[in-house]
Amino acid sequence: MNQNPFLTQNRRSFLQKSGFGFGSAALASLINQDAAAADDDPLVRLGLHHSPKAKRVIYIHMVGAPSHLDLFDFKPELQKRTGELCPDEFFDLNQLAFIREQPNLLGTPKDERFSFKKCGQSGTEISNLLPNLQGMADEMCFIKTLHTEQFNHAPAQMFALTGFERFGRPSIGSWTSYGLGSENQNLPGFVVLITGQVLGAGNSAFGSGFLPTIHQGVEFRSKGDPVLYLSNPDGVSHLDRKLVVDAVKDLNRVAFDDVGDPEISTRISQYEMAYRMQTSVPELMDIKSEPTYIHEMYGTKPGESSFANNCLLARRLVERGVRFVQLFDQGWDHHGGVFENLPKKAKQVDQPIAALLKDLKERGLLEDTLVVWNSEFGRTPMAQGASGDGSKISEAGRDHHKEAYTVWMAGGGTKRGHVYGETDELGYGIAKDPVHVHDFNATVLHLLGVDHERLTFRYQGRQFRLTDVHGEVKKGVLA
Amino acid sequence: MGQFLAAAEDTPDFNREIRPILAENCFHCHGPDKKSRKSGLRLDTFEGAKNGGEFAEAVVPGKPERSELIARIHSGDPDELMPPPDSKRTLTSKEKELLRKWIASGAKYEEHWAWVAPVRGGIPKVQNLGSINNSVDAYLLRRLEQEGLKFSERASAGNLLRRLSLDLIGLPPTPEELEGFLKSENYELEVDRLLKSPRFGERWARHWLDLARYADSNGFQADQLRPSWAYRDWVINALNENMPYDQFTIEQLAGDLLPNSNLRQKIATGFHRAVTCNVEAGVSPEGNRVNQVFDRVNTTATVWLGITLECAQCHDHKFDPFSMKDYYSLFSFFNNTPLEVQLPSNKKDVSHDFIGPYLDLPLSPEQAEEAEKIDEEIAALERERDELSKVSGPKFQAWQESVVAALENQPEWRPMTVKSFVSSGGGEYRILENGSVLLTGEVPDKTTYTGEFETDLQSITGFRLETLTHPDLPGKGPGRGDVIRPNFVLHELRVAIKKDGNESQLKFQSAEADFSQKNWDVAGAVDGKAKTGWAISPQFGKPHFATFRLDCPIESLRESSLVFWLDQNFGKGRVIGNLRLSAISDPVGTAALPQGVVSVLKKPEGKRNAKETGKLKAYFLKSNVRFSTLEKRLALLTKERSTLKPDRTLVMVELAKPRKTRILKRGNFLAPDQLVMSATPERLPKLEKPSNRLDMAKWLVRRDNPLTARVAVNRWWSEFFGGGIVATLEDFGTQSEPPTHPELLDWLAVELMESGWNMKHVLKAIVMSQAYQQSSRVAPELLAKDPRNLFHARAPRFRMDAERLRDNALEISGLLSSKMYGKPIMPYQPNGLWRQTGRNEPKWEEQKDENRWRRGVYIVYRRAAPYPSMVNFDAPDRSSCTVRRPLTNTPSQALTMLNDPAYVEMALAFADRILTGSGDVSKRVDYAFRLALSRSASPSEVTILEELIRDRSEYYRDHPVKVSAILKNPKFFYKPNHKNLIELATWFHVANVLLNLDETLTRK
Repeated sequence: MNQNPFLTQNRRSFLQKSGFGFGSAALASLINQDAAAADDDPLVRLGLHHSPKAKRVIYIHMVGAPSHLDLFDFKPELQKRTGELCPDEFFDLNQLAFIREQPNLLGTPKDERFSFKKCGQSGTEISNLLPNLQGMADEMCFIKTLHTEQFNHAPAQMFALTGFERFGRPSIGSWTSYGLGSENQNLPGFVVLITGQVLGAGNSAFGSGFLPTIHQGVEFRSKGDPVLYLSNPDGVSHLDRKLVVDAVKDLNRVAFDDVGDPEISTRISQYEMAYRMQTSVPELMDIKSEPTYIHEMYGTKPGESSFANNCLLARRLVERGVRFVQLFDQGWDHHGGVFENLPKKAKQVDQPIAALLKDLKERGLLEDTLVVWNSEFGRTPMAQGASGDGSKISEAGRDHHKEAYTVWMAGGGTKRGHVYGETDELGYGIAKDPVHVHDFNATVLHLLGVDHERLTFRYQGRQFRLTDVHGEVKKGVLA
Repeated sequence: MGQFLAAAEDTPDFNREIRPILAENCFHCHGPDKKSRKSGLRLDTFEGAKNGGEFAEAVVPGKPERSELIARIHSGDPDELMPPPDSKRTLTSKEKELLRKWIASGAKYEEHWAWVAPVRGGIPKVQNLGSINNSVDAYLLRRLEQEGLKFSERASAGNLLRRLSLDLIGLPPTPEELEGFLKSENYELEVDRLLKSPRFGERWARHWLDLARYADSNGFQADQLRPSWAYRDWVINALNENMPYDQFTIEQLAGDLLPNSNLRQKIATGFHRAVTCNVEAGVSPEGNRVNQVFDRVNTTATVWLGITLECAQCHDHKFDPFSMKDYYSLFSFFNNTPLEVQLPSNKKDVSHDFIGPYLDLPLSPEQAEEAEKIDEEIAALERERDELSKVSGPKFQAWQESVVAALENQPEWRPMTVKSFVSSGGGEYRILENGSVLLTGEVPDKTTYTGEFETDLQSITGFRLETLTHPDLPGKGPGRGDVIRPNFVLHELRVAIKKDGNESQLKFQSAEADFSQKNWDVAGAVDGKAKTGWAISPQFGKPHFATFRLDCPIESLRESSLVFWLDQNFGKGRVIGNLRLSAISDPVGTAALPQGVVSVLKKPEGKRNAKETGKLKAYFLKSNVRFSTLEKRLALLTKERSTLKPDRTLVMVELAKPRKTRILKRGNFLAPDQLVMSATPERLPKLEKPSNRLDMAKWLVRRDNPLTARVAVNRWWSEFFGGGIVATLEDFGTQSEPPTHPELLDWLAVELMESGWNMKHVLKAIVMSQAYQQSSRVAPELLAKDPRNLFHARAPRFRMDAERLRDNALEISGLLSSKMYGKPIMPYQPNGLWRQTGRNEPKWEEQKDENRWRRGVYIVYRRAAPYPSMVNFDAPDRSSCTVRRPLTNTPSQALTMLNDPAYVEMALAFADRILTGSGDVSKRVDYAFRLALSRSASPSEVTILEELIRDRSEYYRDHPVKVSAILKNPKFFYKPNHKNLIELATWFHVANVLLNLDETLTRK
């Protein structure tokens, strides 16, 4: 049977491959420290199907869906026709989440603050709401024609991140960890950083579904223990802990010598790694050691929980070899007051994201680190909640929109200063080069050296993959 | 059925060797799915292969050289080659050779084994009869002997009892149970005891609840809690009662449709209400319903039939013989329950209204007892009230006469003289001409005025407090704090008689005011409660007054004075600026009489109409202290009674008029296609005249259903042997792993059905086998020969599931509560994990009582944030059906066992428990080992721990501060008994070590 060789072995082989989970000397030879350098290791070849452009990913997901029309996809015609009743074909109740009456068109306000600027050598248009990102335009590759099938948050988040609109499938970070393993023995291969509340899809957005749970995203928290149960109990000193861990190890060794189950030696190494994590994770999370210019560049303040801090942490994580870092930022669901709320959110993320790109570039990391900026869907060119005819413009919002929206990538083998795809003049549908969510995910995996059709896992009698039975790598975004 | 693991011979075995090749490489385009079939060729049936579609000679039985199939798989032309290069599938030369041999030998197709009903085969002959206990062993041993292997020796008694106990009830044996077994050596007695234990249901419910994707919340965006724990209790109870598996099936799938179904049968249908529900306001209610039905169909297929139907939602199954029509025909059985959400009644609401059906449960015993008590008191009070309300006779008459008399000589309020006055918060005061006190100077934030007053009235029935305006006050007053809002809050007014320096407090019966602010009624100023009080917003800039009637009138004041305290603690200067206190002697209460009552009284009796007489009677009654007390108490009791609502649970309810079911194109509810009728999948035994869910449920457990019994026994087997006879527990279809011991699987399945679907009977057969009782020692040569332990030449060792790990540690530490059933519990979990999942509600409220130490099966299951320490041990989020939990081994698990305050508390209790015994260190270590591992410690183990003990106890003797640092952990709720704190702190580490051993976490 032409089976994934993984599955003909016992579950230990999964662990052996993942790196995070193994630290013992006995098994060190199996650890994939650096996927690219270990091409003769059969375990590595399983994940890598071609030479990768990106070795790691920083995946920034804007929870709630930012108004792409007011940030990246400027539509002069829409602006001109603001206040007109939208064309009948835009008004389909089954495709709109909240709008219940035929709405008016709503363009970006004619106001310096909201104007778009042609940036850099590429001349890519970016809103003045993102002045810092304007300076990074030549690094970014925009896809203006991403489209999805879901228009409610939780299902759309799952669709975008797991390729399926309901619970139970592995997330893109888990697939990556499963396919490529970790480059660091002291940290998980897939780390999640969250600002604001967790998204509607809950932990499923970074869950491992039917893949071994070792591949699930581990949330590093900014309050309390960065990793749950990381600190010693009250009153228990470092030495106490060492003595306890040593005694556990010695007793486990006695047991191993007696019964010979390799699982025991795995357990011994996991306790050792846990003990090391008690030092390595706080060290990682402590950004105080960063120089002042870095704090100024990102706008970070040690000890705070902020999106800026998470951007800096993302850089520290990829520096240490974490394969997949995912940032979630809540608060983009602007059904009302979009022109009041969007600038506030834009201001929060503009400086730190631009700083992250710049910092990665300066360190030579951007070349093989893929930065993704996306959301579960976009927002309608039609107004919600207020007429949008100018009289109550401050109250107008935008509804969920799945037909076309803008996301971008940077680094990791994507085209620099490039725009892929084009929406129609009102920004409702696609005029050129559509990119389905499955295509997008296939492309991300491709950049990582993974063929999305071959990264599979057998479950319930079927080979499952991130892109179901769809997906096409969009060569137009590849450098 | 063939020998699935046997080596290939000249005639390849179709099911084992050929079908997998065809399924993996050909069925995608040449399989059951009509729509994606290419060239009209199907290779999943003999007819299809022989007819060949566009190729007359795709497969020519006996003639591989004439078969197009063989030509194509060897073709050098990429346009001809099969499978086509762009499919990224390739055949190995071994596979090509197998296909050739298969065609040469006649291209025989066989039905997939799982679609054929199981029959009990003969008991196989084995050489070593002495090492078999029952038929289970015979099947296993025959296979072992074929491989040149044998069973391992029997496990030690302690190990065996621990294994059995952990497997059957999820808890380790107590030292007493262990001792009893070591003495009696009666294994079967222990098996029977454990199968009868109420803990059995709690352990096996976890397993079933994963399948039922049971949780206590909706899932999705807000993930609010919802009640369905009665269903969880139903499962525990049904398992304990050993409800036959067919009945267990029917009641859960269609208990509501059974004739005269009882409460329990309805609760059982919570199984399919456990599905997630999306209340997010952009969701189509119909779309949500259809998704829920999809889940019900898929879960039913997985749990009972062990088949994956999901694919057939959008297209005919590519590998298994299930069409889209099959899917929607099954869907039709589940398509008749009501919508569960509707558009929000409040348009601005971000959530739909949840309208899915609930069932009211009977009141709990505690509730029922409480309700009875309240009902009795209400009845007694009502009788008394009715008695009192019979207003007539001399008392009423006498009252009227006394009031009329008093009205002629109406008493007046007499201002009292200020003898002294102090404001605790500071400031000064002035006595004005009208006898009032005007506060001046600095405005205190909060204050208590203490004033001593005199009056020449000798008998006093009440007082009046006037809060007056004055031009000097901000906004004229009466408060002092704010020019716009010159409010005051009088939290408490107290009064005492002072004589010869002695003060005696007086009580008030009632208080009334000309005006009270909402929620700040003047009654609050005399209720003794610090937080309530009298305030007057928004009626600022006007004088107000309040009157206070004494409980017992002062008969004679003589030489005494009166001391008043006015507590005003709101802050921000919300204090009275100008006040005057007066007293009155008004025994009849005429001063307080409402004008309406006075005017009635002034009329001669004969001229009053019925309404006026009623008014008078009502007032008379109200002035009766006992009556008003009664009224108040009644109101309170009625309110209390109304809060004693029955608990509810989610259940299935069938619509009176069934829906029409259509195939949904690409599974999209907005794209209905051809109409279908309820039916079971065509390939499986036919269900005649199906009408509803109940028929379908009964069909699942029909004797000729080839799947249900096999799928069930295979899952149970896996709980004991760490893997199924069919390794893919969740899939018995053509893509599944072939059974390692097909005859054993069938024997168990038939045994289940013929024993009357008796689950405990089958479990007993399994645990009575020699195979179950052997040692789990992993000999290196065995590991090399059979790394997955498929032949069972030893017992398996595997880490326990999350719930068992917790229950085990609780039992070892002596903390485990045996309380069963009821609302989900909330033990310790780190702060803030629930807040992050959206909205403010619900909140995690850590229980600081016995509940925190109950079994894991009772912990609240919230899908967006399941109990974190269990998630670290692979507990699923229960958003969808989980047949098999992964068994990982991670550093997060080490951190959890070492540092999770819940486990740390268990370590403390465990240490305390160890220290109850003998004072000798090695004896203590031995006792600890027996508790944790059901065995004695070896000398080398004792040495390791003795070293730790010596080191820490010396250290703590020198550093007593460190002892209290450990023992005074604020997260501890457990109060240890051991008095020697140095010992306790030292052994706390030992307990921590023992709870973290691989052996403690492992069922072996």
